[in-house]
Amino acid sequence: MTFQQFAYHNVIRNARVYAAFLLASIFSVLVFFVYSMLMFHPNIEDQFLQNIAFGGMFIAQVILIIFTLFFLFYSMSAFLQARSHEFGVLLNLGMDKHQLNRMIFLETMILGVVSTSVGIFFGFAFSKFFFMVIREMFLLDSLPLYMSWKPFTLTILVFLSLYIIISFGSSVFIRKKNIIQLLKGYSKQNEQENYSKGRAVLGLLLLLTAYSLVIFSLFQLKVYLSVVIIILAFIGTYLFYTDSILYILGVIRKRKNLYWHSFRLIAFAEASIKIRENARMFFIVTLVSTLAFLSVGVVTSFTSFTAQYREMNPISIFYTSNWDNPFEEEHVMKLSQELQKEGLSYELVKFTVKKQTSSNLRSRVNLIKESEVNSLAVALKIPLIDLQNGEALVIPNKREASEEIRTEDEQTVLEESNVPIQIKGVYKQVIFPSLALGDKSLIISDEDYGLITEPLYGHGLRESNITYYAFHVSEWLRTKDVGTDLDRIMTQSMGTSNTNPNSFYFSNPGLNYSLIQATFSLLLFTGLLVAAVLLLAAGSFVYFKLYTDLERDKKQYDVLRRMGVTDRELVKIVNRQLIPQFFLPWGLAMVHSTFSFMFLQAFWVDLAAVSIAMEMLLVLIAFTIIQVSYFFLIRWRYIAHIQ
Amino acid sequence: MSILMLEEITKVYEGKVAHLAINQLSFEVEKGEFLAVMGPSGSGKTTLLNLISTIDRPTSGDIMINGLDPLQLKSNDLSLFRRRQLGFVFQDFNLLPALTVEENMVLPLTLDGQPVSVMKEKVNKIAEQLDLTSILEKRPFEISGGQAQRTAIGRALIHEPSIILADEPTGNLDSKAAKDVLELLSNVNKKSKTTIIMVTHDPIAASYCDRVLFIKDGEYFNEIYKDDRRQTFFQRILNVLSLLGGNVNDLSTIRLS
Repeated sequence: MTFQQFAYHNVIRNARVYAAFLLASIFSVLVFFVYSMLMFHPNIEDQFLQNIAFGGMFIAQVILIIFTLFFLFYSMSAFLQARSHEFGVLLNLGMDKHQLNRMIFLETMILGVVSTSVGIFFGFAFSKFFFMVIREMFLLDSLPLYMSWKPFTLTILVFLSLYIIISFGSSVFIRKKNIIQLLKGYSKQNEQENYSKGRAVLGLLLLLTAYSLVIFSLFQLKVYLSVVIIILAFIGTYLFYTDSILYILGVIRKRKNLYWHSFRLIAFAEASIKIRENARMFFIVTLVSTLAFLSVGVVTSFTSFTAQYREMNPISIFYTSNWDNPFEEEHVMKLSQELQKEGLSYELVKFTVKKQTSSNLRSRVNLIKESEVNSLAVALKIPLIDLQNGEALVIPNKREASEEIRTEDEQTVLEESNVPIQIKGVYKQVIFPSLALGDKSLIISDEDYGLITEPLYGHGLRESNITYYAFHVSEWLRTKDVGTDLDRIMTQSMGTSNTNPNSFYFSNPGLNYSLIQATFSLLLFTGLLVAAVLLLAAGSFVYFKLYTDLERDKKQYDVLRRMGVTDRELVKIVNRQLIPQFFLPWGLAMVHSTFSFMFLQAFWVDLAAVSIAMEMLLVLIAFTIIQVSYFFLIRWRYIAHIQ
Repeated sequence: MSILMLEEITKVYEGKVAHLAINQLSFEVEKGEFLAVMGPSGSGKTTLLNLISTIDRPTSGDIMINGLDPLQLKSNDLSLFRRRQLGFVFQDFNLLPALTVEENMVLPLTLDGQPVSVMKEKVNKIAEQLDLTSILEKRPFEISGGQAQRTAIGRALIHEPSIILADEPTGNLDSKAAKDVLELLSNVNKKSKTTIIMVTHDPIAASYCDRVLFIKDGEYFNEIYKDDRRQTFFQRILNVLSLLGGNVNDLSTIRLS
């Protein structure tokens, strides 16, 4: 048996210990590789898409690397700690520390090579599927599988260097200890419970303060508070695990009436030992789970934003033309042709809008004919309007603005043509894109419209007219290829400002929507994968901890069984021991995320008037289901082991 | 009246190499008796104890404990039977590390769902008897081996079982602590008429008993009863042990490994 074989056997014959760990690291390699495949895809020519793909994937990869480094480091040192007796024996037999380090290095590298190659293998196998999902999201024509050395090299380089760092880093603590310490093994079992009441109370106080600040933000949002809340919750969570929870258990244990009750005795006592031993792990798992819940939650909440998008932009393609627009006919012709080319049926409603000055508003208003609005309303299947002579309805610029406009009757005169008008109320439906309107708009009856003959002061007759072309396409999601050059002119000339220097205005919600939707779906997809890696890793921590304590637990259950605990009672005791380990970090993460969502909600309301409660609830329920099934899986294995 | 009766007990461990651990062993234990079972390594002592503890089943033969046949009970009833009728003392104490001394002792009562007032009363009485009152709030790793074994005995006694089964109770103790524990067991046996069956390697420990049963290779070898002086009883035990022809280690007062 050579030295290499020895290291190899150490890994292979401990496969069961390494199983969960390997699974988690293989998965993170897989996700990393698939992201790299997309990042380097040669077929993505679209600049915008390239930016999203590259940017999104890059951020996800950085998160993955940082997290994986952390996860590997923690797991490896826990593995080595659990094996310290074995190392003690080896040193006792005359292995020198240099050889021990080499053995640890070899073993870690075996794990590294296995997880990297298996991860890349499955990653490559899955990347076609991944590309199909991306293709569907972006409605791309094709996104074929490709071969390139880039993603392979990136993944191999990143993960092998991670493993090399880990294998040097994690063996440090072994070097520090002498043989006797190693032989006695890793057992923190016998440590005295040392929690301080002060820190326990401080931990609870910090958490409560953080939560109250969140509730406070619901009424008065201050963005800088988010930093304060995060710091408070961070420290509070740490103290909660190291002190508060032990303090609470200690208080319960002093009350014998509560505590000396069939299984509670064992359950509480065991729980406090496990929590004390695993406080740091619980802390990490809580943070990781909160992060996972949040990333998925935030991204899901974008979908509720897109749901509102259609409501705000009911007209599929909208084109307005000022009197001085030389391209009017050319553009409208082109749009119709492109729609026909796509095989889309459409209804075109043309509006001729006149401008006048309103007497009491002291500003220009757009005047729209009742019959034209009604013919669009028929196409959009929204209620028709019926105006008497001299009556008018205001069209609000924005959806939110409709509440602000006074609805009581108002008298005004269109000064140039001297037409008296009574404003009856607000037209509730949003039909025109707000940018297109600019000035305030009124819908007036056809008769009144006919009376407007005079142009705006200081303008010619033709100069006070605008023409709107509203294309209604029922399959509005498929219009993304219509008017792309017009859209490009619009985005180039307008940039991020709200003023339109062109003599025409073009908007295609289908195109915009497809971009927004694709971006959000990609973010969701990326977020989900990262969250899955995080959760799997968190689960593997728990699994590993259970596994290292298995021998001790087995012995304990054997004593209990001799003392006459029935199998059914044993399962109850196991439940009471496992449940806190699984659901304590998870429960705190849930509470954290709920409050974070509340804060986000407060933030979103300010930003986009979107309620994200429903999405959040769904996310939390989905994670609950995953966690519960994971619990049952582990419990099944655990009970099988101890029996 | 015999509280435990074994008749023609045989235990074969199946496996790649079948192993005959106990071969047609029969004996009886009277109520209130303090019995030691001795034999060299591999003679089947632990197997025998497991059979009496009802956590293992004999391949053939009959066992009667307190007039009940545990082989006829279902696994659930068997657990309840152990919980109420049997008490255990182990070589390495097997105290639950998470519990305090007091909690370890009341454990059998809490499992049985007794009211807290009863538990408190019983634990105080036992703690006084075993001289543990001052360390009731300590955890197992904070106390000495002797104290730990006394705690384990307290745990075995608290629910007043019919039989206490002790597996090398002095195996991990120094001579002073071993003496305390043996005197304690012997006192308990005399005062409360509790039946004790103790498996041991240690002739000194065996000399505290009423009777010593020797087994070799799973078969009955010999038995001797105590006489007036412990010293001569000890000598006779040594004589039988030398006849048994076990290893030198088996004769030493403290087991080496």
